[in-house]
Amino acid sequence: MRVRGIRKSFGSIEALRGVDLDLWPGECLGLVGDNAAGKSTFTKILAGTYLPDAGTIELDGKEIAYSGPAEARGYGVEMVYQDLSLCDTIDVAGNLYLGREISKGPFLDKAAMQRGAHEMLRKLEIRIPNTALKVAQLSGGQRQSIAIARSAAFDPNVLILDEPTSALAVAEVEAVLALINRLKAKGVAVVLITHRLQDLFRVCDRIAVMYEGTKVAERAIAETNLEDIVRLIVGEGHR
Amino acid sequence: MTLYTERQSGSRLRDFFESHAHVLSIAVFLIACCALFTSINDVFLSPGNLLNLLRQAAPTLIVAVAMTFVITTGGIDLSVGSIIALVNASAALLLRAGWDWPVVSVLMLMLGAVIGLFQGYFVAYQRIPAFIVTLAGLSAIRGIALVLTGGFSILIPPGLFLSIGRGTLFGIPSPALMGLAVALIGFIVLNFTVYGRHVCAVGANAEAARRVGIPARRVVASVYVWSGVAAALAALVVAARLGSGSSNAAVGTELDVIAAVVLGGTSLMGGRGTIVGTVMGALTISVISNGLILSKIDAFYTQIVTGAIILIAIWVNTRIFDQVGSVRRKS
Repeated sequence: MRVRGIRKSFGSIEALRGVDLDLWPGECLGLVGDNAAGKSTFTKILAGTYLPDAGTIELDGKEIAYSGPAEARGYGVEMVYQDLSLCDTIDVAGNLYLGREISKGPFLDKAAMQRGAHEMLRKLEIRIPNTALKVAQLSGGQRQSIAIARSAAFDPNVLILDEPTSALAVAEVEAVLALINRLKAKGVAVVLITHRLQDLFRVCDRIAVMYEGTKVAERAIAETNLEDIVRLIVGEGHR
Repeated sequence: MTLYTERQSGSRLRDFFESHAHVLSIAVFLIACCALFTSINDVFLSPGNLLNLLRQAAPTLIVAVAMTFVITTGGIDLSVGSIIALVNASAALLLRAGWDWPVVSVLMLMLGAVIGLFQGYFVAYQRIPAFIVTLAGLSAIRGIALVLTGGFSILIPPGLFLSIGRGTLFGIPSPALMGLAVALIGFIVLNFTVYGRHVCAVGANAEAARRVGIPARRVVASVYVWSGVAAALAALVVAARLGSGSSNAAVGTELDVIAAVVLGGTSLMGGRGTIVGTVMGALTISVISNGLILSKIDAFYTQIVTGAIILIAIWVNTRIFDQVGSVRRKS
């Protein structure tokens, strides 16, 4: 995936001022930056939730322009949103299959979705006791796990994770990091946004740093260290 | 030594009570109302009165089923009473002009759909709050009915049409059968179809629904079409029962309908709807007004008592639900 010159304004605020980025299959890119640096806006454009004001997105060398998140999903671009985007009043299985329900004609195949949900969670090593529970009854970490499972389970080409580990317990963070490594091995391009810099060094191959709506630096993981990244984030690196 | 044990999953019966607390409590309330009115006047339980009660409840029930969908998406439709009046008056005018009743019926259902589509467009695609759009509809649509009829009641010539409201099948009034059929369809659609799932999803979290590729705006617009069609069907039932059409028909029906839906346990915040609850809510409202008449309470007091009972019922319902369910909502 190749992204060039993405711009996006909200009113008078220029959220993104021309961002370029390349993603390769089987690679994890860490995206870091201060608050309001434009990380979430940028990834939402990749996922089709926002439409860019300018710039191009290419997938496998072909330029694509999507009109909404459904189309991005069609190209295999999946995203875990910071707010998780779950429906509280629908059960776990229903949320996992939201937007691509298994159906017989117009009717939901609830049994198949429950079975599929069990299988999905088992493969990703996520422990949810009962997939018929409403999402509102689950803990923050469990909800986050479900949002991750939903995006990872349907063989994406590009997976964007916006703060996926913020509410997770130690074991669950480990599971997510292991999941990222497994997806990489399958050839998925992963974008990881996180404030836990130590995680970046465990799964990422490259780190891109954003500052005030621009990409200020890109470092291969082998040629950088924690202090360097921190310096780049707060903006001392290029002063 | 530390022992690692798994949490036991709770009793299934308790889970069942918790997840159906709303519907169960309205069921208990409905039975209590029936018992109370029976003890005051034993005519209440006579088959004749019960069938009459079903016949009267039918228009409210038909609209309330569609309203359940609207409220489940987090919207509201205040214009249903006015749509009933307009369709009711238009149907009477056309029938008096000598049109065939099947043609008139189909045209009227289409009129309801068009009005619903018009309002749904403004709610879904222009992002105007449903309350405002349908409040405007409430005023304007009844206004059209007044213009058409000049404010007079229009007599429908006797014919087969009247059997929609007055006929019986196996001894059960046809409006009641229609109401139950609509409720059954609504129940199946809301609980067992992909469309029903999308209605819940849009109501629970519209942005999430859009992000996973559900055509959120089309779903929102569609529920107003259903409420328009349901209101038109109710209008035909009312017109056939009374044998006349009037621009003053169904004043305040929207409030009965919304009360029935909310009484049944559908959340006004959206995302959670129950057709079984709505059926019982609509029956409760009819039972109360019927029972008060049989109890020989002055008709002027009926409205006060109905309002008070609705508030108390929903209050009790909320308290029970908060204690038992304590479902966390995302802010």
